[in-house]
Amino acid sequence: MSANSPVRADASLVAAQMAVALARLLRDGETVFFGVASPLPMVAALLARRLHAPGLVILTIPGGVDPEPPVLPISTVDPRLLVGATALITLADVFDLAARGRLDTAFLGGVQIDRAGRINLSAIGDPKRPKVRLPGGAGSAALMPTARRTILWRTRHDTRTFVPELPFVTAAGNVDRVVTPLCVLRRVDGALDVESVHPFSSPDEVRGSTGFTVTASHETPATPPPTDEELSVLREIDPAGVVAAELQGR
Amino acid sequence: MPDKRRSLAEAIATVPDGSCLALGGNTLHRAPAAAVHELIRQQKRDLELVKTAGAYDVDLLCGVGCVSVVSAGFVGYETVLGLAPMYRRAVESGEVEAREHACYTIIAGLRASSQGVPFMPLNGLQGSDLVSLRGFASVRDPYTGQDVVVVPAIVPDVALIHVQEADADGNARIWGSAFEDTLMARAARRVIVTAERIVDRAVLAAEPERTSIPGFLVEAVVEAPGGAWPTSCAGLYEYDLPALEQLLAVSDEPPALRTFVDERILGAVPAR
Repeated sequence: MSANSPVRADASLVAAQMAVALARLLRDGETVFFGVASPLPMVAALLARRLHAPGLVILTIPGGVDPEPPVLPISTVDPRLLVGATALITLADVFDLAARGRLDTAFLGGVQIDRAGRINLSAIGDPKRPKVRLPGGAGSAALMPTARRTILWRTRHDTRTFVPELPFVTAAGNVDRVVTPLCVLRRVDGALDVESVHPFSSPDEVRGSTGFTVTASHETPATPPPTDEELSVLREIDPAGVVAAELQGR
Repeated sequence: MPDKRRSLAEAIATVPDGSCLALGGNTLHRAPAAAVHELIRQQKRDLELVKTAGAYDVDLLCGVGCVSVVSAGFVGYETVLGLAPMYRRAVESGEVEAREHACYTIIAGLRASSQGVPFMPLNGLQGSDLVSLRGFASVRDPYTGQDVVVVPAIVPDVALIHVQEADADGNARIWGSAFEDTLMARAARRVIVTAERIVDRAVLAAEPERTSIPGFLVEAVVEAPGGAWPTSCAGLYEYDLPALEQLLAVSDEPPALRTFVDERILGAVPAR
């Protein structure tokens, strides 16, 4: 699809691409955490465990370790995330784990993201008297610098999201990748750049939708589309399309 | 032990205006909603709310003018319903001060209080503007000479905690996720527990390891079936999405919001 094409990929296709892109980043045997309002990371972690990372240790806010939820909640604090768990810990345990260097990967989001991979989840405008009060960074300010690696995701990719300068830095730290509806960005030498462009987007679209300079050209690799196996497991894990709901939602 | 059972009205009447309240639960789950509704019924004012991640409880109290300060890491209805509109408006108009924390700094502040120390060192926050916004200081580790950020103690006047089961002495047990509730019960000056049901002491005595809030920390216990509604209560009911949607639909129209609160929330027979 060319950048001039007005046709937008539908939400379930984008959601599947984002979910598999996030899942592929997870490594077998590592510990991974996702927090509030995180359906895509939840699905990605469950997907990775079923595919290439059977030894993944999945940690959540409700505290169930390695849950096997038969029905996925939309709220990622839901008691359903205790079903099948083999141990119960607390959110404080997760922060402590990260603080002592034992949390491998944290999935975090950002309403705004700058070139350094820093995020703003606090406010648009003066944070003391904001034009728009955002929900707040939840665990991100503590986890981003202490987790060994942070993977960011965002369900929008536009120049309001990817900005040259943040009005407020809610969190900064060990960002490795950012997965968006258009591409995967990777942080190298402290700056985000495009690693791969999703098959239904284009280098032009990615550059035009990013508020700081990124290099994306016809030589930039395409993100491999979901395989049949990935799609089949994704449908098993998330038959109701919770991830697509996140993309269409708020 | 003395019988600590109280009516909801009696228990909440002991909460003065201007109190700092720790609210149990997390986002859409096991919020102390019955206690929150009674705070509204008794028209409390100038409350400071403390919670790692709030949703309905924080949003509604801001919407009806009970709040002056919110100290929290996150306020929103997650992906389910998005931003908390009443909180957002109250902060943007200057009526409510949003003291944003990282969830971990709320936990650290409560830990300091629970341990009787003035502040708590913490690893985290590097590179975050929250340090200067909150005025978090650093101190030099006297053993290694390295700087470490410290969070002042957060000492709630009252913790409001909703649980599935408690006895008349206030011994309380939480099914499933405790979130920060057990820490809040140890950090706050006073603890008010609402419980889905009051059970016989022998029920708790049979499995004391499941009692995560011992009764000696609890000042009052209130039987409040459906007391987390419209948020979820693990093992008993899920969050009530239609009720939350109806609330948010009228949240920007003060008369309609008032009617909804009076009729649907304060007048509601709680769902089970």
